[in-house]
Formats: sequence, C-alpha cells, structure tokens
Amino acid sequence: MSTRERRERSNESDRFLSQLFHDAAHLHGGANWGKEIALAAVGGYGRGELSPGSDLDILFIHSGKVPAELLKAFVNGLLYPLWDKKSVDHSVRTRGETREAASSDLRVATGLLDIRWIAGNVDLVASVQLDALDSWRKNSKQNLADLQKNLIERHARAGELAYLLEPDLKEARGGLRDIQALRAISLSAVVPVPLEKISWAEGTLNNVRESLHIASGRGKDRLLFQEQDKVAALLEYPDADAMMSDVARAARSVDYLLDYTWHWLEHKGKDGLGRILKRPRITTVAKNVSASNREIVIDPLTSLNDDPVVGLRAAATAAQLGLPLSLDTCIELSENLKKGDGILPSPWPREARELLISLIGAGEAMVRIFESLDQEEIIFEWIPEWMSVRSLPQRNALHRHTVDRHMVEAAVHAAKLTRKVQRPDLLLFAALFHDIGKGGQEDHCVRGVRLIEPIAKRVGFDEKEIEILKDLVLHHLLLSSTATRRDLDDPATIQSIVSVIPDVNTLELLHALSIADGEATGSAGWSEWKATLVNDLVQRVKRAMAGAEVAQQPEVSDEQRVQAEKGQLRVTLQEHSSGYAVEVISPDKPGLLSIVAGVFNISRLDVKSARTKTLGESAVMYWIVTPEPHAPEVSATKLHDLIAAALTDSKDVEEKLIARAAAYASIPSIPVPDPEVEIFTDAATDATVIEVRSHDRPGLLFRIGTAITQSKIDIRSAIVTTLGAEAIDTLYVTELTGGPLSSERANEVASHLKQALK
Amino acid sequence: MKLITAILKPFKLEDVKNALQGAGITGMTVSEASGFGRQGGHTEVYRGAEYTVDLIPKVRLEVLVDDKDADSVVDVIVKAASTGSIGDGKVWTTPVDQVIRVRTGERGVDAI
Repeated sequence: MSTRERRERSNESDRFLSQLFHDAAHLHGGANWGKEIALAAVGGYGRGELSPGSDLDILFIHSGKVPAELLKAFVNGLLYPLWDKKSVDHSVRTRGETREAASSDLRVATGLLDIRWIAGNVDLVASVQLDALDSWRKNSKQNLADLQKNLIERHARAGELAYLLEPDLKEARGGLRDIQALRAISLSAVVPVPLEKISWAEGTLNNVRESLHIASGRGKDRLLFQEQDKVAALLEYPDADAMMSDVARAARSVDYLLDYTWHWLEHKGKDGLGRILKRPRITTVAKNVSASNREIVIDPLTSLNDDPVVGLRAAATAAQLGLPLSLDTCIELSENLKKGDGILPSPWPREARELLISLIGAGEAMVRIFESLDQEEIIFEWIPEWMSVRSLPQRNALHRHTVDRHMVEAAVHAAKLTRKVQRPDLLLFAALFHDIGKGGQEDHCVRGVRLIEPIAKRVGFDEKEIEILKDLVLHHLLLSSTATRRDLDDPATIQSIVSVIPDVNTLELLHALSIADGEATGSAGWSEWKATLVNDLVQRVKRAMAGAEVAQQPEVSDEQRVQAEKGQLRVTLQEHSSGYAVEVISPDKPGLLSIVAGVFNISRLDVKSARTKTLGESAVMYWIVTPEPHAPEVSATKLHDLIAAALTDSKDVEEKLIARAAAYASIPSIPVPDPEVEIFTDAATDATVIEVRSHDRPGLLFRIGTAITQSKIDIRSAIVTTLGAEAIDTLYVTELTGGPLSSERANEVASHLKQALK
Repeated sequence: MKLITAILKPFKLEDVKNALQGAGITGMTVSEASGFGRQGGHTEVYRGAEYTVDLIPKVRLEVLVDDKDADSVVDVIVKAASTGSIGDGKVWTTPVDQVIRVRTGERGVDAI
C-alpha cells in the first residue's frame, strides 16, 4: 500500500490501454487514423494514482477529421474488451469541444488539469493540456468561486473526515477531493499554496483508501466501522484507533491548509480592517503584534527571547479580534520555539496566563487559532501534555470529536457560561483540560487530576486555584451521573455532593463545566432533559451549602491611614511585572472610581486590577495597570495633575473617553455573552455587595462607576479583577446616607447597571 | 401480546432494568420524557428568586411481552420502581395486534 504500488497499477493500465489503442487503430482503418486520435488519462488516473477500485477516467481526443462511423467503431473497439475488467468513465471530444466542456463544467475543468498522454497523437493531448491550464488561470476568479461553492456543498453533505465515525475518505471535509481542490488552486497561480505541507496527509489518505478497496473488495470510499479493523491490519497499525488517529491528523492538516488558502484568496491586499489597499497596511493591535491582510502577525525583528510572551499575545489577540494567525507567523514561531528560543519561564508570568485565558475564552473564534497552534506544533512547546490527546479518537456513539477537539469545543461552550461563575478563568482552563487524562488504562478523571496539576502550576495558578482545578477535573462527571442515577429527594444524595464539593463557588464552576462538557459532546450526551435534572440537583445542593463567597474588602495599612487623614491627593507609581502599580489616596467624592479609571483610560493604561476602600473623608486606591502599545510615558506627577483636574471638572475626561471609544469602534470583535450583575444582600453587614461580570473592554470601569454615581449610591470599596478577557468587579455600596440598600433599591441599581453596560 | 409502558424516576431505571433482566426480559426501549402527574411541578426558592419546574424529567420504558407474561412483568417493574413517595410514576399495558421483526420477517410471539 504505497504511492509506488498505485503508480505501478496505473502504469499497468497504461500498457493495457495502449495495446488496446493500437489494436483498435489497426482494426479500424489502419495506423493512419492513429495520428488523428489520442487517448489520455484525466483526474486521479492522470496523476498516476490508481487504487484497486478506482475508475479509469479517460478522454479520447480526435482532430475532427475522423468520420463519425469510424470513430464510433474505434472507441467501441477499445472499450469492449474492458467492460468486465474495469469501470471506465470515458468521453470523446475534439480540442474545441473539450474547451467548451471545461468552461461549463467545473469537474471537467479540474480533471483536465491532471491530463496525461497514454497513446496516439501526443500533440493533441499537449494542446488540450495547454488550453486547460490557460483557461483555468484566465478564468480563475469565476473558477475558484465555483470551486468554493462546490466545496461548501460537499462539506455540508459529507461532514468532517477528522471526526466522523464512518467517514468518506474522498468526499468528506479534509479528504482527497479537498487535496485535489488545493492542487487546482495552486495551478491557478493566484496565491501560492505550500502543498508540501500536506504530502504526508495525501500519502496517508491514499494508503488507507487503497487498503479499504482491497479489504472490502469494492471501490467504495466510505470507511465503515466493520472494515476499519481489517484496513488497519493491512496497513500494519496496532489497532483501528491508531489508524483513525492518523486519518484524523491527515484530514485536519488538509482542512487547515484549505482554510488558510481561502483566507488568502479572500483577503489578498486588504488591511486589518478589511479595506482594499494597493499595498497591505499594518495596524498595531498589541505589543509587537499587528493586523495585516486581515491576519494577525508578529512584528518582524521581534526577539522571542526578549518577549517570550509574544506568541501567546498574538494568539490571544487573534482570537479576541476574530482574525486568523498568519501562517508565516506560526511557522516562524514554531521554528524558533523548537530551536529553544522564547521558552516561557516556569511558572509563566502573569501576562502569559492571562493571555492563555483570553485565548480560551474567545469562543468560536478560538477553534481556528487553536488548530493553527496544533498544526504548527506550537501548543506542544507550551503545553507538552497536549500531545498525548492529539487526534485521539473516541470511537463511541456518544462523542462527535477526537479528545483534543472535544476539549476545545467544551471551552467554546464554557465561554458562553463565563457570567455564571465567579472565576471564569478557572472554568475556561478546566474546560480545555477536563479530559486530559484520556488515552490511558485508568479512570480518566483520576489520571486527569495528576496531569492537570503540573500544567496549572506551570501556567502560574496558585495552590488554592490548583485545588479547585483538580476538583473540577476529578468530578466533571459527578453532577450528570448523580442527577440521572440517584434519588434527588434523598438527603443522602445531596450530602454526597456536599461532602466532596467544598463551596458554592466550586459548585457553580462544576455546574458550568458539566453543561459545557455535555453540550460539546453532542445531543447523545446532553439534552434539555438532562440539563433540567442537573440544574435541579445543583439548586438542591446550593440550598444545603452556605452562601456564596464574595471578594473581601481590602486591608489598609497604617501609613495609608495617616495619609488618608491628611485629606490630600497623593499619587505614587511603581514598576510592576504587569506594568505599573499605582497608589492613589484622594479626598472622597461621588464618582471618584470612574474619574480615576477614566484618567487611566485616556492615559492609555489598561486597568488589570484595583482595590479601593473609603476611609472617612478619603479613599485609598491601589491599581495595577498595563500600558497599551505605543502609550506615552507615564509619571506620578502627570497622573496626579490629570486626576486633580478631573476632580474639579470631569467633563474633559468624559469627552476624551467618548472620542477614544468611537475611534476603536471599527476594530473587529467577536460575540461575547451579555454582562451579568448579581446582588448579595447577606455578604456584608454594613453594605450591599454588587458583583459585575463582563467582557473586559476599554472604559468598562468608568462606565460602571458612572452608572453607580447616577444611581445616587456610594462605593465604599471596590475589588476589580481581570481574568483573561473577563472582568469581575465586586463593589461594596451603601446609600449616600450610609447603610446597605433595600432589596428594591438593589434591584433598581442592578437593572440600571445592566442597561448602562449594554 | 401486550405493550407495557412505564414512566419512572430516572434514577430507578438501573434497578428496573436489572429486575427485568432477572425476569428474563432482554429487549426494551428507553427514552427521556418529561411530564407531571399528581406530584405537579414544584417551586423552589433560591437566593430570594423563585423558579418553577413545570415538567419533571422522567424515563419512559417500553417492553413488548406475550399476554401470559404481562402481569408478572408489570409486577416486576412496579416492585423495582417503587420508592413509596409521590412521583414514582405509572405503568400501563396496551393490547398489540401484530409484531414483526424487521430483519427476519418473523411475526407475532416469535418476533418478541
């Protein structure tokens, strides 16, 4: 089962047909007619790739001078001896007729691109070959549009080769027809197609197809379950799973190249925002990362050793903007990482972890980026454990995808549930790794716990977070299995969950993970019915547990207390691993939080976290901010002056913020879940706690602060956290006169906040 | 022949399946179902917000049996499915005119 055998089979057919051609020429009018007719192979046979069950696609080309009767007798004479030996697909045309057929039929046009002479007049074949290529290139715009339409229809019909249990090796997405399509695109010379990237895939798929034809004794291309063991044995795989894993890998690499090729075709010569330009324009979108031709690239001359996080930054930015990562960038990044450049320290810096989370949290847009990281083997440099689940098949009726893709899908579903939990970062991370333990003999949940610990440690989670992640991986099937198999009315059932799940926050995470896992599995694994049961269980367990934990108010040092008593504005600035740590001690006034947040925003400093507390007439605030790319120099004095001015009149800050928001409105974005506002009336005695969960975006905190001020309530304390691309803001608020809000007031504020964040 | 249909609490499915297998019944059809009877939908209060569960998830189990076995199979199901509390479900039988096994074309009791 190899290319050589397929070529030999093709050569043998050539010899056989050639003999028949000469016999027919001899029988019907002598050797002279042989100059007016030629026999050529097209399609797969034209490429010399013949599997035992392949059709012989042949074309008779004649000069038009042969009398019709004679031509008919000649062709029949050649075909008759074949009727019980081979399945033949033939056509008889002149050069002109061939040209016409090619212009109206895409299949003819692409088949002719592989035309090869077998017998008769060589010049006739050469002229048709020239016409075919010429017309393919001249009409490339229309041809490629037709090809794409054809592809989309076929993919919808045949499904994805990498993930189907019984795939069609030829027709399915990522299959042999897609390889032919790539070859046809390459011949159009519109964009370069690095076909060498799929040579392994082509060989693998052809070998499997050839063995399938031998094993089944038929020319069918659908790899049925019942044939898989036999085909795997013929190809000397240890088992069918190993073979299907190779099929999946091959199909994914084909699909990946096809995906890129269409992107290049569609966006050649357009800038990051889709405008058509003569020369590609480059827009900086993050430090050392730009958008060009609607792709994300790492800026040339960026040293990976100076900025080892740039790869993750490019991936996260691409995912958050919904743009692909440029293939050149991926290849270069992969080569550098393999050479040992740009290795991330262990544990990763905080920025790297945040970027990984914002990559995972980008929803649908993440799938394509993750595929790039997988295909170019970048992800294994960051997370070597991913290799053990790469294209690992799950051959059961429950799952739709290989293990790695299933986890990616689970993360996509988890991204829709980030508002339902207090720690979206832990949810997303657990979703991406929940089945990492698969592929061994032992229970995958137990093995998963062992594997996730070193990953989480390397990525930089702390001990407490790692414990939660371990719980999530260990128990990711617990809620579904308990809800469907045990009596929810029995207190012992509820107790069995309470005894292993430490708190409401972990329970909420586990609930969201169960939903994401179930939805990613497909309708066989998850349904409304199951969702209702699981939800019922979770609500019962929640009632049995103590209330949810919210972020605690920050402590204030003695030095800060003394400073606060002075009632004067003081700004201090220090370098920090994420950028700067800024301490602001200021006389308190309504809207202070949004004023300071607004000043940071117009100074092009991105708020990563904040902890603020009111002390008498003053407020003590501690901020961590990251400068945006190309942000101007920042100093404590500059910030002091801007805040002082805004405290007197905040109108200028507001206007600048609106202008900035308008300027960035044209940057592409991906769909994100709506913000969620939750009220906790029992979390503090002297204040009401409002928790805002939202996608992080410029000016978010300013808007929250403004909405709170408009509601005429006071912020006593605020704890602002950014986790990847998600922001969790906890606000301890009171009435202006002091004391917590009544429940009506709290609901009123919550709905006003939701409105303001839309 | 009779068709026995049972609506059960989901967690009881395993017990009923085992009991039926113990009674020599090897074929059955199980589907997810939702509904309510005397148990009604219930209202839960969580963090002050009320939510109503209108339809309660149940499992629907169907078994085809010969007339003479119907009563004993019903007894097996009822015994295995009972918890004694409200919402345990219902079991009923329906007469069946004809049964055909698709693969072989066998009919009647042979096809069960």
